[in-house]
Amino acid sequence: MYRGREGQWAFLLHRLSGIAIAVYLLIHVVNISLAMFGPEVANRAMVMFHSWPFRFGLLALGAGVTYHALNGLRIIAMDFTGWGVRHQRTLWYVVMILSVLIFIAYSIKIVPEIIEGMSH
Amino acid sequence: MAAATRPRTLKEARTAYTSNAEFAWWVFMRISGLLMIIVVTAHVYMTNIMINVGDVDFNFVATRLSTPWIKVFNTVLIILGMLHGANGLRYSIEDYNRKPGRRLLLKLILYTLTTLILLMGLISLWGIDYSQYDSAVTIGRSMIS
Repeated sequence: MYRGREGQWAFLLHRLSGIAIAVYLLIHVVNISLAMFGPEVANRAMVMFHSWPFRFGLLALGAGVTYHALNGLRIIAMDFTGWGVRHQRTLWYVVMILSVLIFIAYSIKIVPEIIEGMSH
Repeated sequence: MAAATRPRTLKEARTAYTSNAEFAWWVFMRISGLLMIIVVTAHVYMTNIMINVGDVDFNFVATRLSTPWIKVFNTVLIILGMLHGANGLRYSIEDYNRKPGRRLLLKLILYTLTTLILLMGLISLWGIDYSQYDSAVTIGRSMIS
């Protein structure tokens, strides 16, 4: 924790979302690569990825990806411009608001699909 | 290097990192991050917005993995993603593990896993002829377009 206040939360969320995304990426590449063993293996592995708990997890991961991407832009602004350093706190609130808005829009598309998928 | 002392500006980074490799990784994280904002958005758009990701099956995957421009696109995506992710995990390991032995062990596990899974991904992209599952690719094609 390096600065306290908003910067501390920005860092912590960036770290946690980054770890979650990296771990998911490893699993995701293995899952997709299973196609090399043909339809039976690949489709059997896919069952778990289509289960509703996993799909809600994926939705949460989407929120993590959005935050990590937007906060990454904030970090780059801080690293390369004095403007970014001066306004880093405001920028973090912009990042949070945009993340929530994008997550809501994404959920409106995804949640009905998950609920529909529960019945079969 | 601990999080508390990681440099926050380009100038700081250049002086703080005594090793060129560490500075190169600092730059790589920013460039790959910027690129992935475009590439990952396109990837998620194709696989989660244009279709219901719950419909994805072998046919869909095999068709994508045998479409030339997607092979190139996914190669860029997998290399950027795996390197950015592995380096981020390395930062985390180094920040939260003080014992040298444990740092080394965790990093060895990380590098081994990353290499194996990256290779697996590249083989599934370039080393497999999915036309042997001909019907699958035909059905998948109708899903994509």
